[in-house]
Amino acid sequence: MNEQIENNAVASPAVRLEKVFQRFTVSQRWEHWLLLLSFTVLLLTGLPQKYRSAIWSQQLLATPDQVALIQTIHHIAAIVLILEVIYHLGKAVYRMAQRRLPDDIFVTWQDFRDAGQMVAYLLFLRKSPPPFGKYNFEQKVTYWFMFVGIGIMIISGLILWFPEIVTQIVPGGIIPAAKLAHSTEAIVAAIFVVIWHFYHVHLQRLNLSIFNGKIGEKDMNTYHTLEYERLTEDQPGESGGEQA
Amino acid sequence: MTRQVLICVIFAAVLLSGALLISSSPGTASSLNQEATPIPNLSISDEYCSSCHGQPGQTLTLGDGSTLDLYVDPLEHASSIHGSQGYACVQCHADVGEYPHPPFQAADRRDVTIQLNSVCQRCHGSQYELAHDSVHARAQAAGNREAAVCSDCHTAHAVQDWVDEQTGETLPEARAIIPQTCAQCHSAIHAEYLTSVHGSALTDENNPDVPTCIDCHGVHNIEDPTTAEFRLASPQMCAKCHTDPERMAKYGISTDVLSTYVADFHGTTVAIFEKQSPDAETNKPVCYDCHGVHNIKRADDPEKGLQVKENLLATCQKCHPDAQENFPTAWLSHYIPSPDRYPLVYYVDLFYKFLIPTVIGGMAFLVVLDVSRSAINLRRRRQVTRQPEGMSSTLPSDEGVEAAQDAADSPEAQDVSESKTALKPPPTPANENPEEEADRG
Repeated sequence: MNEQIENNAVASPAVRLEKVFQRFTVSQRWEHWLLLLSFTVLLLTGLPQKYRSAIWSQQLLATPDQVALIQTIHHIAAIVLILEVIYHLGKAVYRMAQRRLPDDIFVTWQDFRDAGQMVAYLLFLRKSPPPFGKYNFEQKVTYWFMFVGIGIMIISGLILWFPEIVTQIVPGGIIPAAKLAHSTEAIVAAIFVVIWHFYHVHLQRLNLSIFNGKIGEKDMNTYHTLEYERLTEDQPGESGGEQA
Repeated sequence: MTRQVLICVIFAAVLLSGALLISSSPGTASSLNQEATPIPNLSISDEYCSSCHGQPGQTLTLGDGSTLDLYVDPLEHASSIHGSQGYACVQCHADVGEYPHPPFQAADRRDVTIQLNSVCQRCHGSQYELAHDSVHARAQAAGNREAAVCSDCHTAHAVQDWVDEQTGETLPEARAIIPQTCAQCHSAIHAEYLTSVHGSALTDENNPDVPTCIDCHGVHNIEDPTTAEFRLASPQMCAKCHTDPERMAKYGISTDVLSTYVADFHGTTVAIFEKQSPDAETNKPVCYDCHGVHNIKRADDPEKGLQVKENLLATCQKCHPDAQENFPTAWLSHYIPSPDRYPLVYYVDLFYKFLIPTVIGGMAFLVVLDVSRSAINLRRRRQVTRQPEGMSSTLPSDEGVEAAQDAADSPEAQDVSESKTALKPPPTPANENPEEEADRG
């Protein structure tokens, strides 16, 4: 991940200068789009299959042709998601081999301390939230929760897709278990995205850096203080004038 | 006075016309019936008819040269439901009249039956109507003269009472007769039925709980059982008895068979199609695809039962040709998962029963805390901006730099600098490993 500091040319003294940091690369932003779209389509085509007694679900699944169509769309979206996951993991493995894998997203003990301090802050036991690095514990929770969730969805989904092949290797009981896991994990993931992710990126503050790849200096300093320190320390001459 | 009379007359006229309207509306059907069968002359007694037809040896030569025996055993008629209740010959044979009656003409023996069939309609209109919608009537209309009409099942002169008038239920003694009646034409199916768990219980012990033909196929409006509609509706048909706790308790059979079927892949789809597109063709199995149609066996039948692994596998392979030995256990066999049966499913369920409340609860807890802290922060910041010398004690760091600078002038600057120290100095506890630091581009 190339964090660069963009140099804004001075236009006029009236213009307030704010440095913008590169937060996500183009490929990461594409990955998010693919995830967002496939996840949405999978949910929209999957939920009717789960809530089969609801009338809207029954109208969608009313005829064999419609069932086949919804299944096909679900499978296509699943393939998109699987390819995205393969790309994501492949890139991680490749970087790991090159010893260039950024470790920001990995969970450390510090994250648990951060979480504790954050709760303490929210309960007025601390005056300020703890300083975070590139990803705060909330963002790591999002990433890893989705990571595990998508893993469960893909494995159970493939089991359901190819039951005849799967049961040549493992006992048949895996099929109903996978069905249960698939449909329940989907709900967990949906609730998680709506309550947790949407809250943090839309309501708490509108955070569009996954779409435009950028984060302003102020947000960087406020929400990712440690990362801000690290980047500005490297180039002390370029540190912004806004710091007190 | 004249006015009162006039009102009375008008009132009576209105009443009368209303009554006429009411009586004439159902009358359309009966007037049609009367066209088909003339009003019987009840002065002609049964003895009068028997004087000829009670003597054996009377025959009539039909159009195809065959002979029709015109002898009617008076005892047979007398012991029938009609004879025992005093119905006379002429009530069915209404168009005959007094001797010498007009000659009866028919192309052949089947033609006799078909011609005389409409006489039942006079008294049994609703059953006749139902039968008119049946697969038999449609086959008749399509030219299959052998398709059953009333007297094929009920006989002509020996009609028996098969229904308990009070309950509307089929009489126990009639239940055993029903399969034999259908077997007159459907003998191969009857033979299969006799070997089934239902059929054998009926013939062996006249079991009152097992279905006879009509319990599945209906009585007069017998449907075509080869249609998609019949197929999709069939699970409900089986469920009539198999979800009845009283009836199933006698045999130790689970009443969850329908709900467990509907909860699984096949049943879910079938149940939706049944509601939304009842004529949809689907290969998703219904009860009888696995359990058999007329030859249904007990699930634990040592030879043919579905509890025999090979039998179930063979059943699965009808639609899943690639299925191997393990495949059938993918179907929960109508069981509800428990630690003993399908423990994997049971524990996955248990896991999510804990996970979901934990995840939702934990997230909701943090989000609510965050919302309330932000709201309180916002209110305090507003107080601070309004009165820079204000008494605000805490000023969280996520307020933005301006607010922090505002507050830096206030007497509580100590607090703020504390929070800024937490924010500012770079001891970077997250990156204790300098090597990792170096790895980053």
